[in-house]
Amino acid sequence: MNAIAHDPDLELSDLLTQIAGGDRHAFGRLYDLTASRLFAVTRCMLRRPEMAEEALQEAFVRIWQKAGAYDPGQARPMGWLATIARNQAIDLRRRSAEREVESLDDDDGQTYGIMPEAHFSFEMKRLRDCLAVLPEDRQDMVLLAYYQGWSREELAARFSRPVTTIKTLLRRSLAILRECIDGKL
Amino acid sequence: MASSEDRDGLAAEYVLGTLDDAERRDAEALIVADATFRAGVEAWEKRLSPLALALEPVAVPEQLRARVMTAAVGEVLPNATVIDFPARARRWRSVAIAGWAVAAAATGFVLLNPAALPPSQGRFVAVLEAEGPGPAFIASVDIDRGTISVRPVSATVPEGKSHELWALGGGRDKPQSLGVIAADFRIPSSRLGKIDSVALGDTVFAVSLEPEGGSPTGQPTGPVLFTGKLVATE
Repeated sequence: MNAIAHDPDLELSDLLTQIAGGDRHAFGRLYDLTASRLFAVTRCMLRRPEMAEEALQEAFVRIWQKAGAYDPGQARPMGWLATIARNQAIDLRRRSAEREVESLDDDDGQTYGIMPEAHFSFEMKRLRDCLAVLPEDRQDMVLLAYYQGWSREELAARFSRPVTTIKTLLRRSLAILRECIDGKL
Repeated sequence: MASSEDRDGLAAEYVLGTLDDAERRDAEALIVADATFRAGVEAWEKRLSPLALALEPVAVPEQLRARVMTAAVGEVLPNATVIDFPARARRWRSVAIAGWAVAAAATGFVLLNPAALPPSQGRFVAVLEAEGPGPAFIASVDIDRGTISVRPVSATVPEGKSHELWALGGGRDKPQSLGVIAADFRIPSSRLGKIDSVALGDTVFAVSLEPEGGSPTGQPTGPVLFTGKLVATE
């Protein structure tokens, strides 16, 4: 009888170690386990599906190259992978003319889905509680920037505030979030 | 970026994704060159990544898997060395101390360590600093775009003086002036002479304090205030 509980973090960490050693099968397995979650990240940042796919592809190329740099003591594997996917999406969004093509109105219908609260991780529940401390428009600014890659300029247009004010509001909001999240550790 | 609070704000906005392009490049340079900043970024990634992980998975088109495998594994030899840029930046940072003699010695240090040569890369950055906290300038060399740009981070120039940028090492027998640093400093990378990644990886940037308008002799006449080694970014 196998009494060892299945630990997804442990499996992903092991796969990253194997990938760092050049194990292609481990890489395929990692793709199968994580691609749909990482695609969710690039898909809400890049509304055009072909660009979201390109970002995902670039993310996996980076994961293959950088797996050896993953430090289990520093970050959980899924967070580390999501960060790589997000950074690729941000870069691609900036390189492309998508911001010009995309009218702000199109962004009103948010296509990304958040999982039911019952499935939230402990960290996500804490983050949700801390976000709730912020005024509603600040919550929206943080979430639009994080999920959809909105720039300060885009936020300024949407919230009818000068760009410099948006920067100040973002930094203050983030400082409050930091206090709240770290304080609850 | 004078206070640590500003720097944490920069790290936070880097992770949030709201920095403008120039600030984002600064942040990327700091991640490579500054362990404290890098730790700040990692802490912010940890704070905010639960949001990304709370997304409902989205089905990936089936043909993408084969494309990803080809793009990732197909191009990379199984035994390819993964280069740890931060580790190298730390090593180089330790030799980037003010002073011509030390800068020259730093160049020698790298020449004696062929393993430290960077791979062929299109972009290099140098974080120029003196003793003390925080960088003064961030310089970047973008071979693809053919530009060198320098952004002051915390440096202020005294009345009646100028900051002049110099390139050392990389096959040069004496410091080469790249000009007086103005507010929006951007020059063609061809000014560095032959552009190849090996020579760039051996190049140290330095800033000296000169009479207004720059050195009258073509060589540094004032004290060297800040130095930084060019480091290949990924």
